[in-house]
Amino acid sequence: MSCPHTPEIIADHCDADVPAEVLQRHRVHLDTCWDCRQELLSLRGVPGELLRWQSIPLPDWDRSGMVKSTSRRKTLASRSYQWPTIGQWLPLVASLLLAVAVMTQTRLTIGPQGWSVSFGVQSAVLSAQQLDEYLTAHANTSQTETREWVEAALQTHGQTTADSIYQWMTYIEQQRALDVQRMDAGFEQLMNRDFQTVDSVRQLASYVLYQEAP
Amino acid sequence: MDQSDNQLIAAALAGSLPAWDALVRRHEMRVYNLGLRLLNNPDDALDLVQDVFLGVYRNLYRFRGESQFSTWLFRIVHNKAVDLIRRRQAGPEIEDWFEEGTPEPANNLPGPLDSYLETEMNQRISQFMSRLPPAQRLIVELKVFQALTFEEIAPLQDIPVNTAKTRFYTALKNLKAMIEAQT
Repeated sequence: MSCPHTPEIIADHCDADVPAEVLQRHRVHLDTCWDCRQELLSLRGVPGELLRWQSIPLPDWDRSGMVKSTSRRKTLASRSYQWPTIGQWLPLVASLLLAVAVMTQTRLTIGPQGWSVSFGVQSAVLSAQQLDEYLTAHANTSQTETREWVEAALQTHGQTTADSIYQWMTYIEQQRALDVQRMDAGFEQLMNRDFQTVDSVRQLASYVLYQEAP
Repeated sequence: MDQSDNQLIAAALAGSLPAWDALVRRHEMRVYNLGLRLLNNPDDALDLVQDVFLGVYRNLYRFRGESQFSTWLFRIVHNKAVDLIRRRQAGPEIEDWFEEGTPEPANNLPGPLDSYLETEMNQRISQFMSRLPPAQRLIVELKVFQALTFEEIAPLQDIPVNTAKTRFYTALKNLKAMIEAQT
């Protein structure tokens, strides 16, 4: 092929729907292009050769076989009405409910010491005032218990011998160790709860140091 | 009175097996002969028919009637044929063909052996086709046998119209060379 127009002219020659003006343009070109004329003359008979094909009927085959095999899964009629089932909607509904729950239970608190995000109901938040009340009540209870221990010890070891003083001191030490263990357990419970400010932690730490001081 | 394709489709979608059967019978021969020309093997051609109509059955509910059923069907046929050709890759390279082949007996008079000669003719044509590269083979099938325009062929093959025309021209040149070598 030496002319760039040859493929288009050959192709359009085999196309019944080519506009008349395009065909006219091709005729004008063919008048002056020997290469295109030769190619057209050479190839014009090829489609005709191919169209000598004689249609062959199909051998017998199972036309409804595919219907039987496919209908076990889903029929054409049911495919045309495809409404989502409850099972298909469930994950979406569950996700939406979870999202609503998260949004309604999340709280942003902005205070003088910065901001904080907390999750949960109001009662789960420990305020500084509540912490003070708790610590005061705990100190009162400890004081009362200590007084009771001393009275009990005085009744048990009323004689002021060196042995009884030693036993009394040992008893007091044991009770103090028990008290510290209870305090630890109390702090453990406090730590498991949500509290708002770093002050609360500082107060806890100060209290522990105070209790463990000799 | 013959029902239209759309009527048969509606009935098939409603579950009518006879409607589906009639729809298949109306189009199966065209698909089968296309398969014979492209795949050059009756078993493969029947495989193509079954593949195509299984695809049609599974997707029939998607047919909206916006285009002709035959156009919609032909998209499925084209895709399935491309798949099968790729899988089979039937036939030796085009150059090998020139070393073989037997001359066709010259007989222009009608006679009792015409059916034999027709079979021979079909075999020759499908041999020619199978020796074309798959892309050229498909474009000849679409243009010559299915009478599609290049504007319809180009999107089917995902190529520009001019590329389709050049590919068709090259295919005709190859076929011409084969025909000349045969005679």
